[in-house]
Amino acid sequence: MWREIDRFGRKLVQYGLAHSHFGNISVRTGDGLLITRSGSMLDEIDENMVVHCHLYKEDCFDTIASSETIVHRRIYRQTSALAIIHVHSPYAVALSLLNGEDYLVPRDTESKYFLHRIPLVTGGVGSAELAENLAEALSQHKAAIVRGHGTFAAGKILEEAYVNTCSVEHACKVHYLCTVSAF
Amino acid sequence: MAIVLVGVNLLFERVFYFMFGWWGKGLEVDLGSGEITVKQLPREILEMYLGGRGLGVKLLWDYLPAGIDPLSPQNVLIFAAGPLTGTRTPAAGRHAVVAKSPLTGTIFDGNAGGYWGTALKKAGYDYICFKGRAASPVFLMVRGERVSLENADFLWGKNTGQTMKLLGDRFSAESKGTFKYRFSCIGRAGEKGVAFASIMSDSGNVCGRGGLGAVMGSKNLKAIVVGGGKRVPIADDDVFARYRRDILRLLVASPVSSKGLSSFGTPVLVNLINYMRLLPTNNFRSVYFPEADEISGEKIRDNFERKKKACYGCPIACKARAGEMEIPEYETLALLGPACNNSSLESIMEINTLCNDYGLDTITTGATLACYAEILGKNLQREEMLELIRQVGENEGAGAQLAGGSAFLAAKRGKPEAAMQVKKLELPGYDPRGALGMALGYATSNRGGCHLRAYMIGPEIFGKPKLLNRLTLADKAGLLPVFQNFFAAMDSLVVCKFVTFGAGEEELAAILGSVTGVYYSAQDLLRIGERIWNLERLFNQREGFSAGDDTLPERFFQDSADGYAGGIDRDEFLRALREYYFYRGWTEEGIPSAEKLAQLEIEV
Repeated sequence: MWREIDRFGRKLVQYGLAHSHFGNISVRTGDGLLITRSGSMLDEIDENMVVHCHLYKEDCFDTIASSETIVHRRIYRQTSALAIIHVHSPYAVALSLLNGEDYLVPRDTESKYFLHRIPLVTGGVGSAELAENLAEALSQHKAAIVRGHGTFAAGKILEEAYVNTCSVEHACKVHYLCTVSAF
Repeated sequence: MAIVLVGVNLLFERVFYFMFGWWGKGLEVDLGSGEITVKQLPREILEMYLGGRGLGVKLLWDYLPAGIDPLSPQNVLIFAAGPLTGTRTPAAGRHAVVAKSPLTGTIFDGNAGGYWGTALKKAGYDYICFKGRAASPVFLMVRGERVSLENADFLWGKNTGQTMKLLGDRFSAESKGTFKYRFSCIGRAGEKGVAFASIMSDSGNVCGRGGLGAVMGSKNLKAIVVGGGKRVPIADDDVFARYRRDILRLLVASPVSSKGLSSFGTPVLVNLINYMRLLPTNNFRSVYFPEADEISGEKIRDNFERKKKACYGCPIACKARAGEMEIPEYETLALLGPACNNSSLESIMEINTLCNDYGLDTITTGATLACYAEILGKNLQREEMLELIRQVGENEGAGAQLAGGSAFLAAKRGKPEAAMQVKKLELPGYDPRGALGMALGYATSNRGGCHLRAYMIGPEIFGKPKLLNRLTLADKAGLLPVFQNFFAAMDSLVVCKFVTFGAGEEELAAILGSVTGVYYSAQDLLRIGERIWNLERLFNQREGFSAGDDTLPERFFQDSADGYAGGIDRDEFLRALREYYFYRGWTEEGIPSAEKLAQLEIEV
């Protein structure tokens, strides 16, 4: 499974959706989740860069897992997601800072069809508040944006989470370009 | 009993000597004559060595002649706070203790958390330095500017628990509001000169390693009581508050500090280190303990009602009690557990309680028991271990041989290869074969086999600040000095190492500047650490240590352990050691060059 995580990690970096060692990827494994380690780079994933954590309680592996493990865990417990991708994609972050609403309404047709509205949520990095807000948002949406931080996208498989991540960034890019060109 | 009152805080002193963060003064106590004096510290010494470990090392270098017996009256014992101690800097409620070690013969510093260091700062002092030996047992009483030596006959012969209780009974009525008395003391092991006797501060905060408690006992100094109501002056409160928030935010964002350590304490490491094949088992003859889960952080969480404890100003709160017993730290679990082939959590907790009461370093105790078991060729059972520890604490019977530490014991028994130590300090809970930066760190540590000098667990285990490949020595020789310098500075501020799972030298330099009003860059902080490291190296050279002491027990170069076939490659290790000397600016013999010392403004 780490090879799938590696494959999509490389794509995310390649297309500018993730940078440096920011962002994280996980896959649900029954009563557990396989998640990238804290400090790992998404385009350099190997079997030592992912860690298996328990879904229902913290254990020692939380110490070396992504700082957002608490968020992934809460989303899996509260939604039907089986894969989650979190990145700091630039247009989504920028637009979340420019938009004061609770939702972002895409302007392009495809995003309107598939994403409908994109929730904008708040909460500190790796905090219980963020976990709760995102789990609530992703119980009804494919993806959400954390204000000033980045996107969380869910799917049944990693590819679906990847598609949703790309869709949100595309929707935000179009929205941003429309906004800028209006001036 | 001579009682000496020291001078009042004169007005001119505040006008002409005012500093932020530091008070610029310390107490010098001659236990032989009973004379107590207040010594003003030059500002440049504080700015160059900060406080804590750095200040202690500087004073020890200046005060101590070469070659003295560490348990003789000539040794000097220094308790020092740092410029951040007593402020609300996260996890900065620590103090350092520095002396020549009776266990290693090296310069030695340890530090402890709790509230004692903060009380020292609130009393208006940066340090206390003890010289000589009292004719009969005494304790030092510091009530702000009133300082006296008091008769300690009623405490002598008592272990730490009873000593703390007697002191608490005597002084708790005088503690009011923010003015609280805090205690540091030794147990019977310190009185009896056990080479790895510790110093207990408050209850459960131990300055554990190197036998500093024995130095205290050799001076007939049973305890130090400090209390004060001063506020540590901060140069810019608003800027300080901002930098403090920055650090707190980083600690929340780090899973190590906000999840693992906060939820489980250091026992979270047991299963993790075992999973990584690093857990010292059967006196470092294996790196995997099949029953590790029985003594793990998860087991403790599921079976005990943990009551968390925090040191002054610490948001992590990694310590905990279960009823009347302290939850053991990871190192204690590792060395009294797997290293001794012991999977009984209850017995480890019982032994830990006994060690703390006697005032014994649990790492060296566990490692020495593991060494003893290997020499005997059998596992030690719970009752045997408890009885041996009592004998060690009393320095009598079979315990008398163990009371000198594992190197002393193994040499006496004609099996030096059974002692898992560097420079006679026993190795902690990480097998060096599986973390090669740590291995080089053990070998080059100025106080012997210690994980805290370079704290390579950060990058090699936790991925902080960046995950390094723990199975290679490549590039480690260049990185290691940076980490060693950084943690020498941290120990001088004095800030807990766990802060570095979130914050780095930039944040710490910034908050130091806001407290002291003196501008420090991150590079300045590292340079101070480098100065301290080099001075420690000079001290050890003066005591006869050389490059030949920068090595590891033979076991790690020869024996395979699960996944580490053939042990550490000796040639590669020696190459990395030579590179390390080069990066340090030292000669090929590991001696700091004249140019390096001049660059660091160290006068020899």
